[in-house]
Amino acid sequence: MNESKLVCTNLVKAYGSKEVLHSINLELERGKIYGFIGRNGAGKTTLLSVASGQNPATSGNITVDGMPVWENQDARDLICFSRELSPMNGNGANTTKVKDYLKAAATYMPNFDKAYADELVNAFGLDTKKRISKLSKGMMSMVTIIVALASKAEFTFLDEPVAGLDIVAREKFYKILLDEFAATGRTFVISTHIIEEAADVFEEVIIIDQGNILLTKNTNDLIESVVHISGKEEEIDSLIADRTVYNTEKIGRSKGATIALKDGEEELDTKGYDVSVQPMNLQQIFVAMCGREA
Amino acid sequence: MNTGGKEDDEMNEILTQEKSIYLQISEMIENDILRDIILEEERVPSTNELAKLYTINPATAAKGVNILVENGTLYKKRGIGMFVSGGAKEAIKKRRKEEFYDNYVRTLIEEAKGLGISKEELLTMIKEA
Repeated sequence: MNESKLVCTNLVKAYGSKEVLHSINLELERGKIYGFIGRNGAGKTTLLSVASGQNPATSGNITVDGMPVWENQDARDLICFSRELSPMNGNGANTTKVKDYLKAAATYMPNFDKAYADELVNAFGLDTKKRISKLSKGMMSMVTIIVALASKAEFTFLDEPVAGLDIVAREKFYKILLDEFAATGRTFVISTHIIEEAADVFEEVIIIDQGNILLTKNTNDLIESVVHISGKEEEIDSLIADRTVYNTEKIGRSKGATIALKDGEEELDTKGYDVSVQPMNLQQIFVAMCGREA
Repeated sequence: MNTGGKEDDEMNEILTQEKSIYLQISEMIENDILRDIILEEERVPSTNELAKLYTINPATAAKGVNILVENGTLYKKRGIGMFVSGGAKEAIKKRRKEEFYDNYVRTLIEEAKGLGISKEELLTMIKEA
């Protein structure tokens, strides 16, 4: 099982004439926690639903352990994409009780761990007698998280799991996640807009922008390979001339630039220049890469 | 920084965003050794314990611990965990003294230069500090 991988090859998804995922190539290895970040509308949820076989691809392949995922129960059993709950369903208010929702999840997920689900219900202090339509946003997030974790699926996707949670519950979620990860080595893909507090949890980070994967990289390596430099405009221009520049900003004579170090370069050589070099955190790097005005 | 007192208050520094997390992990373990919070031949927290305590990926915690294994501060007892080597405290002090020039003195002199502080003024400041 340690060799298992989830692979998307030239994956395209279009709705009518609108292409939302452009030839995605992505490889998820077992035993890693991936952070999946992108702006609203970048294609995060679409990619997760197509990669988990809940939604057909327009073209391209998705395989897990070499098996195609689409309409293949054996492959789909290895993947769980626990979707955000909605207070409404097709018939109006979603009046399903939480405990019935969890029971249903247990019947269609082959490895669902009922005892672990109960443990998580207690950990989050969730009232399972409540109807979904009556839950707060935070409680709905908890139900989604509980289903995802208790699914025990090899590849587990969580789409904005902490969006409705307060800071204490978010911290609790990440600790529970790390516990489960330490115990099982399952692969998790977690999308979030609250980047900085989760950055250290992610071994790898996947950045998606306008339907394209910008990068998949070890989080530490990414942070160490991007710096911000600032100083007099001429000096900055000369320093960044032959480099990958993600973003620049200017005020008066001063200029700042977010740049990538070259492979094997440990720090920027600024000898002969009077400039400041500062490290950047994941959130700042993300904004520099994806923050251009549309 | 160290509020001291309790038996279990090891590793109580908090992570900052100034420096790579794995470097901070290895420095925090070193600090605890320097302050006798973790003694030589004692077990240090496991990678998973560190991961949960600081809410960080276990691979990052392992990277921090491995720096200390590679430089001999910690050693591995198979199946039990990581332990502080004998003589580690002295070795850490020695290494930090060597790094003191690069980490502190050089930046001090650079900043002084930028401000036009003369060597004599700087020496007076250090003597009076």
